[in-house]
Amino acid sequence: MRPDGRETALGAYLIRRALHSLFALVGLIMLVFFMARLTGNPADLYLPLDATLEARQEFNQRHGFDRPLVEQFGTFVAGLGTGDLGHSIRKDRPAIEVVLEAFPTTLALAVATMPVAIVCALVVGALAAYRPGGAFDRVASVGSLVGASAPDFWLAISAILLFAVTLGWLPTSGTGTVWHWLMPVAVLALRPFGMLVQVVRGAMIGALSSPYVKTARAKGVRESTIIFVHALRNAMLPAITVAGDLATSIVNGAVIVETVFGWPGIGKLLIDSIIQRDFAIIQAGIFVTACVIFLMNIAIDLAYAVLDPRVRHA
Amino acid sequence: MSVQQALRLASLPLALGLTVWLAGPGLAAEPGKITIVLPEELDIVDPCHASRSNIGRVVKQNVTETLTEINPDDASVTPRLATSWERIDDRTWRFQLREGVVFHDGTPMDAEAVATSIQRTLNPNLDCEIRTKFFGNTKVTPKVVDQYTLDLVTDEPSPILPTMMGTVTVQAPSTPMDELTREPIGTGPYVFTSWTPGQDVVLTRFDDYWGETPEVEEVTFIWRAESAVRAAMVATGEADIAPSIAPQDATDPEMDFSYFDSETTQFRIDMDFPPLDDIRVRKAINLAIDREAFRGTILSKDVVPAAQFVVPGVNGHNPNLKPYPYDPEQAKALLEEARADGVPVDTEIEIIGRHANYAGVTEALEAVLAMLQDVGLNVTLRMTEVGEWNDIYTKPYAEDRGPNLFHAMHDNNNGDAVFTVFNKYHTDGAQSVISYPELDEIIEKATVAVNPERQELWQEAFRMIHEDIVSDVMMFHMIGFTRVSPRINFTPTISTNSEIQVSTVTFKD
Repeated sequence: MRPDGRETALGAYLIRRALHSLFALVGLIMLVFFMARLTGNPADLYLPLDATLEARQEFNQRHGFDRPLVEQFGTFVAGLGTGDLGHSIRKDRPAIEVVLEAFPTTLALAVATMPVAIVCALVVGALAAYRPGGAFDRVASVGSLVGASAPDFWLAISAILLFAVTLGWLPTSGTGTVWHWLMPVAVLALRPFGMLVQVVRGAMIGALSSPYVKTARAKGVRESTIIFVHALRNAMLPAITVAGDLATSIVNGAVIVETVFGWPGIGKLLIDSIIQRDFAIIQAGIFVTACVIFLMNIAIDLAYAVLDPRVRHA
Repeated sequence: MSVQQALRLASLPLALGLTVWLAGPGLAAEPGKITIVLPEELDIVDPCHASRSNIGRVVKQNVTETLTEINPDDASVTPRLATSWERIDDRTWRFQLREGVVFHDGTPMDAEAVATSIQRTLNPNLDCEIRTKFFGNTKVTPKVVDQYTLDLVTDEPSPILPTMMGTVTVQAPSTPMDELTREPIGTGPYVFTSWTPGQDVVLTRFDDYWGETPEVEEVTFIWRAESAVRAAMVATGEADIAPSIAPQDATDPEMDFSYFDSETTQFRIDMDFPPLDDIRVRKAINLAIDREAFRGTILSKDVVPAAQFVVPGVNGHNPNLKPYPYDPEQAKALLEEARADGVPVDTEIEIIGRHANYAGVTEALEAVLAMLQDVGLNVTLRMTEVGEWNDIYTKPYAEDRGPNLFHAMHDNNNGDAVFTVFNKYHTDGAQSVISYPELDEIIEKATVAVNPERQELWQEAFRMIHEDIVSDVMMFHMIGFTRVSPRINFTPTISTNSEIQVSTVTFKD
């Protein structure tokens, strides 16, 4: 085998993945472009209800909404070439600016949430798997299912009413200090935590009854080492897959937490833009989100390769 | 003792300690400064869009002022930047401007500056909402007479131009003519200090303001979409005013106030489609609804059953009209009569509503559905989102739409019925489904008339709509709720949905 065989294989893999993602991205942009414009007339939403018919027609003319769809798409693609992802009529700013302003907020939320969910799930799942059917396992199983099923808007508002209004321990909402992060992250982490506990528990039960664990026990290795080093390392693989999925879905799904806690993130921005038919922001927002998700997926694949030598040599 | 009370007692010592420790910027209220929490963030801040409520609430009469101001109680026109006005001829009004007023950038306010500002607001390239909403059909040309005298010339006779000038915000001449500004400069008691999109807007008191110095030195506007959170913020002291919260969150009589928010709800009857083209059916629908049943249940007990689309206090409101009584027997009788005459009474009628139009709207429409079914009508309910709802509300209408009752809410706090009647009832109105030449004539006459004739004509129009034409099912004049912190005084009015005059806020000692 050539000494740089691994690097070439990795490089070729990355290029393949990037091209694949690019293809998907182009398809996505086209889909979003045409579907958004088929949802109806933006003039009705931008202009007040009292606007005359002439005012609406004039508005559509000025912003090019009365051109044939294919022509509008052509203009958009031409703009893409110069890095112009469109101008938000509603906010009177370039769409990409608005999106890039909102995105870091959601990213920060996701980056804070996933480690919390993963670490807690690993610990709880591992301990639950240690004695399946035992008291801790039962509590953990029920608790995690409740966590995965509870509606986040209810959780968020109840948390605010309890911890901020009644107890006065935390601020209600907004950003600013570390205390402002506690409730949003806790609420957002609950569903991934709940789902991951189930995954880790299942994988750990499998790992703990495998031959190599029996060997380790026979050799006299400490119990905690067996659980948290040998067994967990093998149970992490399915957990990473699920966690990766959950992480990418947080990017879109944090919208409820963003709305309730008043965090100006991409989720809320996209929902508002869809309701208001702000096509430029819808397109720019989905474009940026899709790019990030593609990158995250590639990163997860690479993480897999790092953790599992069997994948590397495949 | 309730669970909440028990928790409160048990945690008091702990909470006290933690709260004192945790209190940082934003948790403790500073003297002279207040925070106002609004539901919807503004996307743009240019005062030429101040008729849009999420912008008006921040800038109107705070940063920029208008020539005249409409008294919310009786629609009378009072001086603001103009001290007096008179009608020179049919198409000309002469305004005397207040002397000694300066803009925040130091330029003096005079007729030249006001003329420039009006031209900017009416500039078609800017798409100002004030122009689209109020001046779509009226062309206004400002003419400077002398330093403090300005003539406004209209192409059509405009008897209520002073009322309409209550909507036009005056900005400094330095404001760019062809693009929207992100730092509005006006004459108002507060300077636009900063705007962090997504976070807040801060206004600071203007030391050279022409009027009385307000008590509030600095106001921060923030946004939370969820009503429970807005109410919670005032309860914890993170905010001082939440101008609109949902009825279910207005649970504290010490802090919460209800007020007429100038909104009225109704169903627009689409009379083009049988059986809705028969007046007996339309009257039956009105009689089948028990409006009293909604008060104190799904809706606040303070909502008022309506008989017309404008609230009391708006010029043209007819105090003699009574809402339809609840008389299901009479409704059934009318339907039987119509059926006997061959009217297809059993055709399916669709109620169309909009999600989250107001708190409790879905439940209210479900109740209406049941009430109409009780008198034998064949009705279904469809809730739509705002884009689709707008589409259905406004011309052009779909040809194949079928008989429908369209649920809408409309506000008019601009002092005169013209802002309601034309669009909703005139043949050429953007949301009108009727065409009655008699009514059109009254509307056209009223538009160019002066009080008292103007008021009488509007009142006659509303009477005709309510009793002769029956093109509506009027429901309620609606109530809004405000939560105000115990450390300040603030009274909401019917204009509170459109403007929040921070200069009226005072601190309790």
